[in-house]
Amino acid sequence: MFRLVLVISALFLVFTATPLVAGDSPQEQRHELMEQSKDAAKPVGGMLKGEVEFNAETAMASFKAWVEVADQFGDLFPEGTETGYDTEAKKEIWTDRAGFDAELKKFSDAANAAVAANPQSLEELKAAAGPVFKTCKGCHEGYRVEKE
Amino acid sequence: MRWSLIGLVAAVLLFWWVTEPPSLNTAALPVHEPDLANGERVFHTGSCASCHGEDLAGGLQIHSDFGTFVVPNISPDAESGIGGWSELAFVNAMMLGVSPDGSHYYPAFPYPSYTRMQVQDVLDLHAYQDTFQPLASDQGPHQIGFPWNVRRGIGLWKIRYLDQGRVVVTSPGNTKAERGRYLVEGAGHCSECHTPRDRFGGLQKNLWLSGAPNPDGEGTIPNITPHKDGLASWSEADIAYYLESGFMPDFDTVGGSMVEVQENLARLPDADRKAIAAYLKSLPARP
Repeated sequence: MFRLVLVISALFLVFTATPLVAGDSPQEQRHELMEQSKDAAKPVGGMLKGEVEFNAETAMASFKAWVEVADQFGDLFPEGTETGYDTEAKKEIWTDRAGFDAELKKFSDAANAAVAANPQSLEELKAAAGPVFKTCKGCHEGYRVEKE
Repeated sequence: MRWSLIGLVAAVLLFWWVTEPPSLNTAALPVHEPDLANGERVFHTGSCASCHGEDLAGGLQIHSDFGTFVVPNISPDAESGIGGWSELAFVNAMMLGVSPDGSHYYPAFPYPSYTRMQVQDVLDLHAYQDTFQPLASDQGPHQIGFPWNVRRGIGLWKIRYLDQGRVVVTSPGNTKAERGRYLVEGAGHCSECHTPRDRFGGLQKNLWLSGAPNPDGEGTIPNITPHKDGLASWSEADIAYYLESGFMPDFDTVGGSMVEVQENLARLPDADRKAIAAYLKSLPARP
């Protein structure tokens, strides 16, 4: 029984950890990456809010998930994907590519720095995760369409 | 003919009489030693910089159904700003919507909310704004068409809509929610965007904070009552954390004109954000 659980968990991990499903459009792929970023943010945010107890491993898993997202995200905005699939991408991503790349690099740098910091307490987590969160907001402001 | 003329004159006189811009006198002001730290806190609560600019020089244009309002320079410049204003002039502007020369301000300047502030907070704000750099730049007049360009008519509007009373009565003893009420209904002026307006631009208090059309564009300003279309699923901690960090419970980020407001509220003490959360969760849920 234990072995079965282990195998199922392993399979689950393999599938959920594989971010790109072949054949998906760039719009869907980048949407999926943002969903993964949000899912990674939830446990960290829970710790910062004081709703969940600090756990160094969980936090590290989130940081690594962000690094993975950051590594792939920039390639998912080729010409011709400005619209479709309800994308929230602003046209500025294509008209001001350098600015977008700079924002994305901030996210990547902050996520890598968080991994390197390897926080072992809630205080250290605050210091490490705060800058990453800031880059989410920063990029959305200029390059994401506001729905509603 | 003669009677209709007399009637007309009487109507004009009555209009003139009831729309007289009010003013406090100096005796109404408390003796007060300005507290700059509190003034800064009030400044961020009111998100003053979101409309007037980080340097207070103004210039932003607010497009509305009544015309285009130009946000004035409120830096301490004596010519084009509000430098040299007395405490009384500042309090009259903030709490009664009346300028130093005795005319009504348009309620695009959210004094219908500020009127619920405590005078001490207004005086501290005045002292804090006086620490800014004076900037000479006159932003020019509003572009408003008839009949709304007759400022005296705002006096009628004030009779109908200007009200210093609490909109929501918090439960007795809940000092946290009451602090939140003071921040939200007063300096924070949240309802100016989150509450729908009637056709004269007055807030519909029976729909308090239940969301409204976006005044500067497409879409809507969200419902922030504890309704399922609003903040029902948000805990108080979620609301306070959102105001501090800009992250919603699902970790999407704050957007639109709320970004600057959130960033200003992030500079308040934690207790104030928690108070705002407690007040919002205490509201009647409205669709």
